[in-house]
Amino acid sequence: MDPDAQLVQQCLRGEGPAWEELVKRHTRRVFNLCYRFTGNSAESEDLSQEVFLRIYRTLPSYRPAEGTFPTWLSSVTRNLLVDHYRRTKRDRQTDSIEDAMPKLEEKHSAARTPDRLALASELSGQLQTALGRLSPELREAVILRDLQQLEYGEIRTVLQVPEGTVKSRINRGRIELARVLKEMGVRPH
Amino acid sequence: MDWNCAEIEERLSDSLEGRLTPEEAQAFSAHVAGCANCQELAANVRELVRGMERLEMVPEPAGLTRRILDATLGPREHVSAWERWTRWTQAIWQPRLAMGAVTLGAMALIVFQMSGLKFSRLRHADLNPVTIVNAADRQVHMVYARSARFVNDLRVVYEIESRLQPQPEAAPEMQLPSPPQQQPQSPGTNPQQKSENDKRHDRSQLRTAALVAMLSPAAGLAGGWTRSSR
Repeated sequence: MDPDAQLVQQCLRGEGPAWEELVKRHTRRVFNLCYRFTGNSAESEDLSQEVFLRIYRTLPSYRPAEGTFPTWLSSVTRNLLVDHYRRTKRDRQTDSIEDAMPKLEEKHSAARTPDRLALASELSGQLQTALGRLSPELREAVILRDLQQLEYGEIRTVLQVPEGTVKSRINRGRIELARVLKEMGVRPH
Repeated sequence: MDWNCAEIEERLSDSLEGRLTPEEAQAFSAHVAGCANCQELAANVRELVRGMERLEMVPEPAGLTRRILDATLGPREHVSAWERWTRWTQAIWQPRLAMGAVTLGAMALIVFQMSGLKFSRLRHADLNPVTIVNAADRQVHMVYARSARFVNDLRVVYEIESRLQPQPEAAPEMQLPSPPQQQPQSPGTNPQQKSENDKRHDRSQLRTAALVAMLSPAAGLAGGWTRSSR
């Protein structure tokens, strides 16, 4: 049995340290998926917490036969990201009106400002900027494939679309990303 | 087959990830060889994918794991080693049990004192019950003898002894020869003229009398004594 599935079993048996171990193993992955998608560190923290809360509450429903634990984790994360995106999309659309009026700092407006982490490499930072310019569908496909290293079959499970669609989105996402980086004057290295 | 730029774009990832059939691969290469745009695109995408593959994950903000655990498991105490150790004793550390604990401690102290155990040189044989009982017995006798001597040497006993001098002897005479120098003495005169044996004899009587006097004031003996003084 793979280590994650084993830890889940231990969690369900009420063995306390197993959940801690599971969280420690996957915090970074979940945070990265959220951060690469939203570009906002604070929002990504909140979202990561929501992901693990949801996982914790629905742990008995995990079926190893239906996919690996990281796949399930990615599915839950992605769904929360979609919900979050839809919520904040409304806010983004009303930007032009609100900007004209003086207003107090709101949670949403602060969250909308991209919060760039001090990223280790130049490419990492430039990539983050470029990812922000992709449509959500292409963005998530590229992140899942090239940054989270999921297999095509796993991505199909996460996105709930046919494999052909998965391949197509990844391909188009990569091409679009390369074009944006070129426009930014970045030479791939 | 001849591929156009649109087809190259469409199959670009398949080419990168080795999913083209031999014929498709040939068509791909053939077009790219003759098309600068497609050549540049293919090269850029290839470099990008390799670059992303090499990228390390962004480190999560400090404390995120802890916050997640707090959110899921609820706030947990960070128990230090000291606290963990004293936790089990907390059931015992209660005010109402303090008296009992002190009593136990005092008893233990007395037992150890009586048993004459020396902790610095404790041997296995010392813990034999017979040894402890014998040692305790010895200690008891020593303590009695010491306290008897103490009482004897008390000023009040000395006073009683002096005053009781004129009284007839009630206790049996000791067998040892003693010079008959029992004179009626008033308090203050030199009692050193008496022999040691006499003194010891008198003292044992007086000791008994003093102990009785001290222990039973209600019996009026002390009152009787004071009445008869001077």
